[in-house]
This record gives sequence, C-alpha cells and structure tokens, in this order.
Amino acid sequence: MSDVAALRVEDLQEIVEQVWSSYLDPEGIEPLLPVYDDIDGMKTDMHASVSITGTWHGHVVVACNEPAAKNCSAAFLAMEVDEVGEADMMDVLGELANIVGGNVKSMLPPGCFVSLPTVVTGEAPHYPSAEPVCQLAGTWMGDPFVITMWQSRGDGGEAA
Amino acid sequence: MKILIADDSRVMRQIVTRTLRQAGFDGHDLVEAQDGKQAFDMVQSEKPDLVISDWNMPEMTGVECLRQLRANGNNVRFGFVTSECTPEMMQQAEAAGAEFFIIKPFTAERFDEVFSPILG
Repeated sequence: MSDVAALRVEDLQEIVEQVWSSYLDPEGIEPLLPVYDDIDGMKTDMHASVSITGTWHGHVVVACNEPAAKNCSAAFLAMEVDEVGEADMMDVLGELANIVGGNVKSMLPPGCFVSLPTVVTGEAPHYPSAEPVCQLAGTWMGDPFVITMWQSRGDGGEAA
Repeated sequence: MKILIADDSRVMRQIVTRTLRQAGFDGHDLVEAQDGKQAFDMVQSEKPDLVISDWNMPEMTGVECLRQLRANGNNVRFGFVTSECTPEMMQQAEAAGAEFFIIKPFTAERFDEVFSPILG
C-alpha cells in the first residue's frame, strides 16, 4: 500500500482538472464539484476502465450516468446533446479512461503498461482480486462522476 | 501540408483535428489512421509531411511505427500525442526520432507552441 499511497486523491483531482479545463469546461464555468458524503449512493451505470500491469497491477475506472456521458460526449465532440448516440458515449468515456489512466501511469513506478480502454453499461464491473485504493467523486452539471483506482491484491498487485 | 493523424480513438482523432483548427492551423490536408500498422502503411501510400501519432494503439504502437519507418529510411516528421508520459517513454521517443511529445489532455495553446515552428 505504501507505494500506492503516494498516489493521492489530490493527484486524481489534478488530472481531472486538466481534463475538465481542456475538454469539458474550457470556460471554467462547469467544474466537477467534489462530493465527500454518500459516495456509495451515487448511481452510475456507465463504466469505462483501463487496466495497468507491470510493476503495479490494478484498474482505473471512470463511472458516470447516461446524462453525464451525453454531456461529456457533446463537449468532447462539439455536438449538441440530443445528437449524441450510444457509440459516441462509449468512445468518449473510453477516451476519458485512457487519458486518466495514462496520466495515473505517469505517477506509478516505472515499468507499467496501460491497456486499451473497455466500456460497460449497467452494473459496475467487479474486480474480485482488487480493492479500491483512491477515489475521487463529484457531480458535473448535477450528474455523478466517480473515478476510482483499484489495486490488485497479492504478489502481482504489489508495486515493486 | 499533408498531416496524418494516427489514433485508435475516433474521439481523439476528432479532437486533434479540432484543436489544430482552434490553434489556427487551417487549410492542411488531413488524413487519418486507426492504428500503428495502418499509419505505417499510410505514410508510404499517402506521403504525409507530418505524422501526429498516439502511442498506445492496437496492431503496432506509435513508437514501433516510428522505428520501422526510420529503419526503412523514411524521415517523415513524426511526433506523439499521448496520455502516457514517463521519462523512459520520452527517451524512447527521442531516440526513435520523434520531434515532439504532447501530453493528453492538451490545449490549443500547446498545439500552437509545438506546431508553429513546423506548420508556420
């Protein structure tokens, strides 16, 4: 844990702020507002993730609901919200996970690899051999956004 | 100038295209590749003047594409736009002959800074 403890929620916050200022909130008027209470009660049904392997094993998951994914896609693709289709949302959330995961990798010990992103809808993915080690939750335009780092347990999950 | 944008993410190819425009680089001929292997092939067939490439892609990574191009004697201007930035990756990129390294998320200002000397 000590190695990953080096990656703090403030680090996730910094990555997220860069994403928001570059793509989702360039005017600085719709930031992600942190939520500290009842994070478990935040209902998300779209989950984009990348896996990290190598000297550290785990997953970075970006979760939100469909309205948030629509707003996100509209901002990323410069479209109107009602023009956004399911494929757009999948692509955009995957890219979001890729950006966050890639930036997280830069903060981990050298020798890590980031997978291509996967996106699932419905129930949150389960990582039976991993546990959440760092989480940033917030609302954006009234909808939930939760970013979680999962670290795999056991020999492969411990940072070198 | 012909520019090849190589990224497995359609969203990111679109954002690179838009950011080029926002940074004031209009009027260039843009072509797209969906992975490193396609980028490698399109450099031969399309003969772009500049390649803006992702790093982590299926079939062939961006840096493998660059290495193969250089091994074949192709000296097209080539650089990376990637969410992953570690000192070893930057060293690999430079050693392979990359001209720039842009980290996602990026801004139009960053594109301006990097591409002004190249695109004028």
